[in-house]
Amino acid sequence: MNKYFTAFIILVLSFFYIFFSNDSGGGRVFVNLLTFAGIYGLAAIGINVHFGWTGLLNFGHAAFMGIGAYTTVLLIPHSLGREGVVISTGLPLPLAIILGLIASALLGLLLGLPTLRLRGDYLAIVTIAAAEIFRLLVRDFEDLTGGVYGIIQFSDSLQNSRPDFITQFSENYNISSAQLWVGLLTWFSIVFVLIILARLKKSPWGRALRAVREDEDAVRALGKNAVLLKLQSFMLGAAIGGLSGIFLVFNYGTVQASTFVPVLTFYVWAALILGGVGSLGGPALGAVIFWVIIAGTDTISRFLFESPDGQQLAGVRFVIVGLLIMFCMIFKPSGILGDKEELLLDVK
Amino acid sequence: MSNSILSVKSLKKRFGGLEAVNVDSFELYEGEITSLIGPNGAGKTTFFDLITRFQSADSGSIFLNEKNVTKLNSYKLARLGMVRTFQLTRVFDRMSVYENMKFAGSSIKNEGFLKSLIQTKTLKQQEDHLNVKIDETLKLLNLIEMKDSYARELSGGQKKLLELGRSLMKNPKILLLDEPLAGVNPKLSEELLEIILNLNSQGINILMVEHNIDAVMKISKRVVVMAEGKIISDGKPDFVRSDQKVIEAYLGSSDD
Ligand SMILES: Nc1ncnc2c1ncn2[C@@H]1O[C@H](COP(=O)(O)OP(=O)(O)OP(=O)(O)O)[C@@H](O)[C@H]1O
Ligand SMILES: [Mg+2]
Repeated sequence: MNKYFTAFIILVLSFFYIFFSNDSGGGRVFVNLLTFAGIYGLAAIGINVHFGWTGLLNFGHAAFMGIGAYTTVLLIPHSLGREGVVISTGLPLPLAIILGLIASALLGLLLGLPTLRLRGDYLAIVTIAAAEIFRLLVRDFEDLTGGVYGIIQFSDSLQNSRPDFITQFSENYNISSAQLWVGLLTWFSIVFVLIILARLKKSPWGRALRAVREDEDAVRALGKNAVLLKLQSFMLGAAIGGLSGIFLVFNYGTVQASTFVPVLTFYVWAALILGGVGSLGGPALGAVIFWVIIAGTDTISRFLFESPDGQQLAGVRFVIVGLLIMFCMIFKPSGILGDKEELLLDVK
Repeated sequence: MSNSILSVKSLKKRFGGLEAVNVDSFELYEGEITSLIGPNGAGKTTFFDLITRFQSADSGSIFLNEKNVTKLNSYKLARLGMVRTFQLTRVFDRMSVYENMKFAGSSIKNEGFLKSLIQTKTLKQQEDHLNVKIDETLKLLNLIEMKDSYARELSGGQKKLLELGRSLMKNPKILLLDEPLAGVNPKLSEELLEIILNLNSQGINILMVEHNIDAVMKISKRVVVMAEGKIISDGKPDFVRSDQKVIEAYLGSSDD
């Protein structure tokens, strides 16, 4: 069966699922899922540049997402911390976003410079550690980040740009206009990022990355700077991660120390593996499937517990996503859109 | 005697207690085909790794055309025209033979991130001009039929040839070949020797590690013998062949 056909069937089924499994307003659930799927999809696209294109193992994506988000949010008007100190001045949002992306890319540079010269596993370890350090720093530097109380009231910068017809549409269909706007922007960004990536993928630069993924030493022997290529790829994927982090916090409307936790990275990887490593659209599709499954696990939780609390929901999610990845790796290791030849879990 | 283009001084490399390479002095002279032979584990590949900077020497210095390159990055050395192949072939498995060749030949400028992002028309044109040379080289190496196959579909010997072809796309001044004939069938080996001679006559200097002693004696102008990390003999093929030390350490007495 054609893989695009498979993807199409899965998408159609998920749509049906979403609309008929919820009595409390299918539209609302639909927009919620699609927004989260877009955000995770964008994040997975970033990891795909790292792993699928270049063979780099990044297990600290939450840090790249987080630093982009915090940078952007802190640069626009917001209210901070336990006391809710209001900061009413700030940069225009587009500029703040660009600086956020730059911050993510710079974190990529910082982590990449010392590790990308070494064997692949070092990067994996350093990124895991960096994500945890980032989370702890955010938690403990309360003056800057608001710590566990976080940052609130920054959404206006984005929501002010929401066109009236979106608001109108949302009212008609009883969905959250703010979330719809974030979701739409996220998916627009995905299209935009994918257009750029499609261009890069078939460019000499993209080819060079593939060569690095295959055999770094051979790349060097041909006079090409493999470390530079890896660094560029790492920074690009980090910036894409930053963008997804920005949308994530605008979707929540708040950001605090618990927003960018390691499990976020795990879920993004899950989306990537489901969709297919290496393919362009795979990660986004994988994220849609992932979120449909998450919605499904919440239904299961309601069977298991009378009224599941957050912890129970998360626990069931965790187990089911883990099982799912296992099954996926056993029966369809290339993911749904992935090329069988693409997935080789060997890291140079 | 012609000019020395590559010059190595007291190069040392240890692996724990093992002295893998301990070369007092080694020169590669312009225009020659030089072969490096010696028993398994003599340190030939390690020596290649050291002079191409894929490994760092513990001490010693390396000069390429009088320029001190002891601390240079491996990719920069390759840009200076010293290109190597690997004993264990390294082709880009999930790229086609054609792509392998094209990547090798493409200019570093075109591979720049920004240039690839903006992608001007000339980029494509600059890539297209490689096609002629790719076809030429693939024909020369009997690989033209495999042009569109994935590199991983090639046989072991064909991969060796592809690696050589890829190196040729770099227009090297010095070509370091680590066992180019290993796994290549006799008929093709003959042809390959012709090709190597031909490349040499076009001005490419060749240093080759090879265990096929007949081939070595046939095409080399000079043979250097290593054993246990040291150079034990160095000279014309005839001289080396009858050198008692070489017979003991490598050739064995039945050979003569
Ligand atoms: N990375 C390494 N770590 C430890 N020992 C090594 C390493 N690489 C090589 N050696 C040792 O160094 C010595 C020289 O190895 P080298 O590969 O250079 O031999 P060679 O002359 O190329 O042999 P062959 O003809 O079999 O290819 C061997 O004894 C080998 O065991
Ligand atoms: Mg060897």
